[in-house]
Amino acid sequence: MFGVISVAEGSSLELMQAVAHEFSPRIEVNDPRTITLDLSGLTRLFGEARAMGEALARTAGARGLRVRIAIAGTRTAARVLAHATGGPLTVVDPGDEAAALARLPVELLAVCAGHDAPAVSNRRTPASSHDADVTTFRRWGLHTLGDVAALSADAVAARLGQQGVRWQRLARGEDLRPLLPVVPEERFEQAIDLEWPIEGLEPLSFVLGRLMDPLSVHLERRGRGAAVLHVRLHLVTRVVHERTLQLPTPIRDARALRTLVLLDLESHPPAAAIDCVSVTVDPTPARDLQHSLLTRPLPSPEKLSTLMARLTALMGEGRCGSPALVDSWAPGAYAMTRFSPDTLVPSHRALSTSEVPAVALRRFRHPVHARVRVQQGRPVSVGGAVTQCAGPWRTAGHWWDEETWDRDEWDVTLSDGAAYRVFRDRRTDRWFLDGIVD
Amino acid sequence: MSNPAVALLESALRARKLDQTLTSTRLPGRGDGYLAPTGMARLDAGLEGGLPRGQLSEIVGARSSGRTTILLQTLAAATCRGEMAALIDTFDHLDVPSALSAGVDRNRLLWVRGHAISRSQGTGLGSRFGPSTPGPEALVDRVIERAVKALNLVLQAGGFGVVALDLADAPLSALNRLPFTTWLRLQRAVEGSETACVLIAPRPLARSAGGVTLSLDGRTQWAGAADCRRLTGLDVTARVVSPRRRAESAVTISTTTQGDACAVRCLS
Repeated sequence: MFGVISVAEGSSLELMQAVAHEFSPRIEVNDPRTITLDLSGLTRLFGEARAMGEALARTAGARGLRVRIAIAGTRTAARVLAHATGGPLTVVDPGDEAAALARLPVELLAVCAGHDAPAVSNRRTPASSHDADVTTFRRWGLHTLGDVAALSADAVAARLGQQGVRWQRLARGEDLRPLLPVVPEERFEQAIDLEWPIEGLEPLSFVLGRLMDPLSVHLERRGRGAAVLHVRLHLVTRVVHERTLQLPTPIRDARALRTLVLLDLESHPPAAAIDCVSVTVDPTPARDLQHSLLTRPLPSPEKLSTLMARLTALMGEGRCGSPALVDSWAPGAYAMTRFSPDTLVPSHRALSTSEVPAVALRRFRHPVHARVRVQQGRPVSVGGAVTQCAGPWRTAGHWWDEETWDRDEWDVTLSDGAAYRVFRDRRTDRWFLDGIVD
Repeated sequence: MSNPAVALLESALRARKLDQTLTSTRLPGRGDGYLAPTGMARLDAGLEGGLPRGQLSEIVGARSSGRTTILLQTLAAATCRGEMAALIDTFDHLDVPSALSAGVDRNRLLWVRGHAISRSQGTGLGSRFGPSTPGPEALVDRVIERAVKALNLVLQAGGFGVVALDLADAPLSALNRLPFTTWLRLQRAVEGSETACVLIAPRPLARSAGGVTLSLDGRTQWAGAADCRRLTGLDVTARVVSPRRRAESAVTISTTTQGDACAVRCLS
């Protein structure tokens, strides 16, 4: 059983929702003036349908709302009746919907179409299309919903297709889709006021454990994971130390969340003792992961996140990730990106079994200044006698900014057999080791 | 015919599950998945399939012996199999174009960059190439210590096919200062996992009984006349030493500068 409340223009939607929530937890907002309530199973609380409608009207009136209420076995019938009838309360017994709608004008189909548009038509149907169909019914000599409902379904389908059949079902007061209840926004938040201020991360880890466990349970019950974690530490100095952690994947494991917070606080510790701890989570739908029997399992995102946090705490910010090339001719140009192997996408590269692999270079991130002796324009000594050399290869670029380079590169082999790449900086006329061929 | 006393001792160690250190113990066959192929057919043949998983192996050699080339090939093979690989780059010497031209799937490579120590301290070059700013030894020690800790974290996290620690440019004096228990601890961390842990160093450090040691010797190859010489690659001789498998073989591998940033540079 469904009830529909329709209010006069200019009424507050929030107020109307509050009234509806007093009667049913499952409500759907159809438009700013209409709300549908699922009244199933509420007779023991509020009595029969009419008593329920009267109670609804009284409550709305007490809040200053002028409402029209219709109660019927289907949402469609209740909505059309609330729109069409002039009385404050209309009640239709379950099963009598088609009869109750039969005398109403066919133009009311547009009322239903406005709310059930996705169900009425699979394509994006403009409102004018609804009007065109109603006009068609008119031209056929059909004036009431009862006339449309009485047609043969086969004949309607033959002339208007499936959309015509849907119009006919609406005219009979049948629902094309279930109720889509409004889900109230849930807050995933836990806070604790400490009796005594705490200092240091070790006691804080126990407090965080107490906060994370219920948060994790709450997230699990709602099928959610944490996308962003906000930690607010109220310090004794009345300063709020706030940290925000963007998580790479939705996580709801309490231990992983606690570890991530602690690792972040290790790098950014609070300046004073802590009075109050509060943790808020921005939820996101949890991950659904189908493991493969054929590929090697990768570590869970929780483990990876923890590992990355530990490595970042150890090595420093921006020193852990995946390498990436940048669009530049600068020697050794590279970038770091976040390490996030996609568990579902298999690697498309073929396993190389090449007999002749490409030789690698070990590049000195800061080129090492070298003492080089030059004869006839060629290096003959680079810390040792040069036995072979090739070059120069001149490269230059970025002359328009401070990252400019202008160099002559040489490949040299020294007497110990090691091969180096050296270059002469043409701006300063100094020699540097760029890397080792290895 | 083995000595009965040795056999008794071995059986006692096995009973206490302490037989991992026995070089005479042949590991039970666990199929192809037990080994991590390097992606180089000749080297894999010398290694009887690849580097053993759950063991600490080493790639050792002097400069320009092909250590980095073989390391990058191993990482590329692992990432191409869909596994994750990690490189603890102690002194931040990875050349990204070289890694990508070797075929490393960058999305599956975790690159942990250590601190590039300025001047020649972290290059292993000493003051040979000119005046260097002598940094405190403690700085190098700290960088190496951090890299070992990072390796430990990655091994404990698990799930990686190949994990490598690059100590190729670490000064020998600094490596000698590392307690030997470091390698035992790492061996213990990787034991039983499906990770092949690889150490790149100038000389053998861990000497793990279960792992293999690839001892490399490289020779540069040059081509062209005197006025247009060019470096064409390295000829690498890899000696495979595996105490547990009692294998000792030598493999020669040729590498080329084709596809290297050097070749790209020539074309441009």
